[in-house]
Amino acid sequence: MSHKIALETPLMHAYGQFSHQQYRANSEVTRGELGFCVVIKELPLCSQLNIRGDAACQNFTSGIQQVLGIELPTEPGCWHFSAEHSLYWLGPDEWLLVSQGPSPDLEAKLRAALSGHISLVDVAGGQSILNLRGAAPALAILLKKSSVYDFGGWSDAVDGRGRCAQTTFAKASAVVANRPDGSFDLVVRRSLADYIGRWILDAGREFGCRIEG
Amino acid sequence: MTKTSQINRLSAHVCASARTDTSVIINFTYNGRALQGVAGDTLASALLANGVNVVGRSFKYGRPRGIVGHGAEEPNAIMQIGSGAATVPNLKATQVELYEGLESASVNGWPSVDFDLMSIAGWFSRLMPPGFYYKTFMYPAKLWMTYEHFIRKAAGLGRSPVEEDPDCYDKLNQHADVLVIGAGPAGLMAALEAAYAGARVIIVDEQAEFGGSLLASTQRIDGQTAAAWVDDTVAQLRTFSNLQMLPRSTAFGYYDHNFVGILERRSDHLGLCASAGSRQRMHRVRAKRVVLATGAFERPLVFSHNDIPGVMQASSVSTYVNRYGVAPGNQMLLFTCNDSAYQTALDWHRSGRTVVAIVDSRSTPNGEIMAAVAEQGIEVMLGHAVIEARGSKRVKSALVAPINAQGSRLVGAVTRIACDLIACSGGWSPAIHLSSHTGAKPQWDAAIVGFRPGSSLQQERSAGSCRGTYRLSDCLTEGADVGAQAAQLAGFGDAKRLFALPHIEEYGEHPQQALFLVPHTKRSSRAPSQFVDMQLDVTAGSIAIAVAEGFDSIEHVKRYTALGFGTDQGKLGNINGMAILAAALDQDIANVGTTIFRPAYTPTTFGAIAGRDIGGLFDPERHTAAHHWHVRQGAVFEDVGQWKRPWYFPRSTASGSVETIRAAVDRECLAVRNSVGILDASTLGKIDIQGPDAAEFVTRMYTNSYLKLAAGKCRYGVMLKEDGMIFDDGVCACLGDNHYLMFTTTGGAAGVLAWLELWQQTEWPELQVYFTSVTDHWSTATISGPNARRVLAKVCDDIDLDKNAFGFMDWRDCTVAGVGARVFRISFTGELSYEINVPAHYGRHVWETLMAAGEEFDITPYGTESMHVLRAEKGFIIVGQDTDGSMTPADMNMDWVVGRNKVFSFIGKRSLYRSDALRADRKQLVGLKTLRRSEILPEGAQIVFDPQQSIPMSMQGHVTSSYYSANLGHSIALAVIKGGLSRMGQVVHCPLADGRTLAAEIVSSVFYDPKGVRQHVA
Amino acid sequence: MLLIHCPHCREDREEEEFSYGGEAHIVRPLAPESLTDEAWGDYLFFRKNPRGIHHEMWYHGTGCRRYFYATRNTLTYAILETYCVGEKPLVSASIVSTAL
Repeated sequence: MSHKIALETPLMHAYGQFSHQQYRANSEVTRGELGFCVVIKELPLCSQLNIRGDAACQNFTSGIQQVLGIELPTEPGCWHFSAEHSLYWLGPDEWLLVSQGPSPDLEAKLRAALSGHISLVDVAGGQSILNLRGAAPALAILLKKSSVYDFGGWSDAVDGRGRCAQTTFAKASAVVANRPDGSFDLVVRRSLADYIGRWILDAGREFGCRIEG
Repeated sequence: MTKTSQINRLSAHVCASARTDTSVIINFTYNGRALQGVAGDTLASALLANGVNVVGRSFKYGRPRGIVGHGAEEPNAIMQIGSGAATVPNLKATQVELYEGLESASVNGWPSVDFDLMSIAGWFSRLMPPGFYYKTFMYPAKLWMTYEHFIRKAAGLGRSPVEEDPDCYDKLNQHADVLVIGAGPAGLMAALEAAYAGARVIIVDEQAEFGGSLLASTQRIDGQTAAAWVDDTVAQLRTFSNLQMLPRSTAFGYYDHNFVGILERRSDHLGLCASAGSRQRMHRVRAKRVVLATGAFERPLVFSHNDIPGVMQASSVSTYVNRYGVAPGNQMLLFTCNDSAYQTALDWHRSGRTVVAIVDSRSTPNGEIMAAVAEQGIEVMLGHAVIEARGSKRVKSALVAPINAQGSRLVGAVTRIACDLIACSGGWSPAIHLSSHTGAKPQWDAAIVGFRPGSSLQQERSAGSCRGTYRLSDCLTEGADVGAQAAQLAGFGDAKRLFALPHIEEYGEHPQQALFLVPHTKRSSRAPSQFVDMQLDVTAGSIAIAVAEGFDSIEHVKRYTALGFGTDQGKLGNINGMAILAAALDQDIANVGTTIFRPAYTPTTFGAIAGRDIGGLFDPERHTAAHHWHVRQGAVFEDVGQWKRPWYFPRSTASGSVETIRAAVDRECLAVRNSVGILDASTLGKIDIQGPDAAEFVTRMYTNSYLKLAAGKCRYGVMLKEDGMIFDDGVCACLGDNHYLMFTTTGGAAGVLAWLELWQQTEWPELQVYFTSVTDHWSTATISGPNARRVLAKVCDDIDLDKNAFGFMDWRDCTVAGVGARVFRISFTGELSYEINVPAHYGRHVWETLMAAGEEFDITPYGTESMHVLRAEKGFIIVGQDTDGSMTPADMNMDWVVGRNKVFSFIGKRSLYRSDALRADRKQLVGLKTLRRSEILPEGAQIVFDPQQSIPMSMQGHVTSSYYSANLGHSIALAVIKGGLSRMGQVVHCPLADGRTLAAEIVSSVFYDPKGVRQHVA
Repeated sequence: MLLIHCPHCREDREEEEFSYGGEAHIVRPLAPESLTDEAWGDYLFFRKNPRGIHHEMWYHGTGCRRYFYATRNTLTYAILETYCVGEKPLVSASIVSTAL
């Protein structure tokens, strides 16, 4: 039996939606004529694993490094990344691993490399990564509108490492991380992606804001 | 320029210091009259420029009132601005910036401010003593609504728009090292020093321009005008990238841990247009240190008829002259008990209008400014007081008399002096409101005749006149010092001042006199009204009456007389009121104490408090992967927690109308029992559990045991709180060695995860187990009904679906519709059911594939309402509907789920043996069948055994779930009834609010397929 | 609105990221079955309600999902310390009262 399998990312329905100060529902202004200072881009589907383990255990940290080629961030509020993998600190014994492209055997590789009390859980279907980029004041103000967290207190991200925080976003929550190019990634729950997309469009209306896939 | 209406506008060459631009005319209306102001005006300065005397009527007596102040303290000029949806009530004219086309109207005065019916009540003012409303309108209670309507109309509290607010509002979460509140001399210096030290600084001021009192000052700083110094300093501040300036922003509340609420008015000064940006923005600022530089309010003097239009604050008169170029009158009499107000006489004199005299209550003042006044030939009457103003809608004269050195009684004859403006100054009161919000108790300081901020309970310091520091040079020094210290305490700099302080020419001052109540020839209770709180018509006499009636605490007197209860919160009246009370009680002010100011400092709009969390963004909506499919099918949604779940799927009928909920649910329920239905069950909470102690941990949390549950198997469990009451339920599956998947109720997911974490982290950290939420990862389509297996077989060919190979309460990994899936053979309908879980990106695809595969069986999507009916037919409980946090498993007739022989005392077990849990008369879950089969009991209906008993009846239980069952052809209900399980077959009664009493028979809670054979069909 | 230092995230975070977990350091009886109704009731229902220093649990639900303890003054709302499960508080009511 063969099936054509259709994949749907959480925010797919909102691609192309936009908000703008000048725009009114019945106006003649078309999207192309408007400037957008903030852009939300939903990143393509990728594999995501929730990792639990003991950061004090040498075997655990070196096993992660060996399989992924990047060091496990044990400093709170940090994320490490390579071209292929990103590791976000979520808690003292919890990390999120995001890997580009499908890597079906990654979990098995990690399990083989790690021993002791660990947990690996596939959460790829449950969350989406939204990249938020924009002009400096607009992006900073949008974040201030959306979260109680003090992103202004962060040092800039550099190649291979940046800051991240799990915090409130609108009335939901998100993992927020900064990137070396000045943009921010939001890891949001799938079920809340519609809400967060609508929130950002509304909050970003004064700057002009649109959603891309 | 045309100045036809602006009789009090000073020409620019007379008043060079004015910040207004007389070349830009602004048209506005006031009570329908077309008037003109100029750029830079407030509504108040424009009204005064036009010679408008009466701007409102008083709350209680309907007396005409004029503009008294120039800022947040203004008690009288309360306006309705704009009309229609965007109208705003109760704005102070002194704080409304004028814009082209502004529409304004007095809020009080009915039918109009110039002829106010209520002023007739003023003739009977002795009939309206303090507590009048309490005494008169208290009884009968039923008439309160009528009275209130009358009072509101007469009192005029403005009109709230009934239309939807067309404006946008938002909120900004801000973080600062140093927050400076107030941009007067002290605030500007504090911000400058803190920013220079490198701190992240936010400086806010409620006015459009920074500078505070300096904007109206004629003092020279470093040889230049004060305004020029302000311009230079603001320009300097602008160079700091680490400093944010927020003009038109009011810090309205100071909350715990240095959290300050600030309302920024972004477009109010541009007009009442709905802009795409935000009209107002709430800044929620968390600051490491706060500098309060909120200034001071001049205190009014309390004398008879001090409320007649034309009696104004001396500093306000100076502000109108110097800053706005408006002279609100012609013949000014200045009444003061201190040196600072002498400046007003000099300002007025310079404007070219007449200073009739200065009346100074002090007998022998010798401040340096007196020489300056004498130089201008202004007459000064020492040891005198204005005891009464005369006039009706405008001051015409003042009664002046000599008083003794204590200011307590008159010592000579009364003379009458003609004038049309009485400028008054009773000294200054520090604006300690924000300091008060922190819980700091204000301290009376006789030296400054005012309350200073109490010792700080937060990370804040006050600087400048809000601390009782009044000399300009001292304010600048103190501001700079406090700013540098704040920065240092936040981790920047070394607390040393970096900027040279400017040179200022100042007069040496003579001490002020404490004069809170000006004596009259008659005592207060007999004298013409001496107003203390103008907005609420509280007089010195009414405070005396309150004391005579036995009130001796300021908090009680406040409430009894309404002192300080207006929208101005007694900014002008409170100190005089307390002092008058203290005198009446023969106590010190320090003993009587002040009332504690609470947020908000000035009224704050609800729109700004709500921000963007309105309409569709009021609460987060969670959507399942198939949500957009449901929407397209016309599903009606129900909120379950934050989730949007399809409630039912109405179809269009042949006639074009849409099915009722009853018709849709009947159809959906019949389809499930007779063929196959499909439910979106993605919202159920799912928690992945891994670790060597996973089985032990899960067994401690549920009432039953999971130690021997094999991989590939599931079990239904109930979770109790430690008090033995049911808290959540669901299926838990063993996925493999040390690996479980726990399902929770939709609404309970977050609570259960936190509950598991609580026990593992704080009580049993030695148990090695990790929990991870996978609720969003899986999309779940449940197919249920006798044809469910046939549907699944069409889209899943890699496992044996035979009922013995894939048995009830088994789960399998397999491929459904080409997607790796996990299928559970569990059932909440009592029919053969498969819960098909796939990663959510495939959810919509799998759902649509199942719909296509089920087409030949007329597969029917069903919603939560049908799910509820179907499970009730089987007697399955819903936690939170049939339980309410006071139900044990035994109460639910579910003893079978409790593993009493488990080794570990699972959570809640001990409580099941408490004497209360063993009572025979506990409410127990039973079924109810109405005697008339079509009658449906209302959920929540109370149950009695004898409907003939007298009221109040003895209630024996209540209905928890109730539906019409299309499958059974009659209504069914679940109920909890005292001792219900031993009352099978008895008839009970539900007396309803509409007078009917429905009778029902107690039956088993399992209505359908009691042996449970249908979930095993071949 | 409190500002709470999460000992795991090692940052001050806003109160809305947390939920309150009640009194800290209540140990579950090892053998509940051996307790009288009254003793079990004491464990279940009775909590301190001090005016002043209180040790309490907080859950960083919109953050690292860890429970931790805080020593808070119920009078001023000042949080004097936060510490991890397994650690002992440095501040206690007796220390504070002698300091006063």
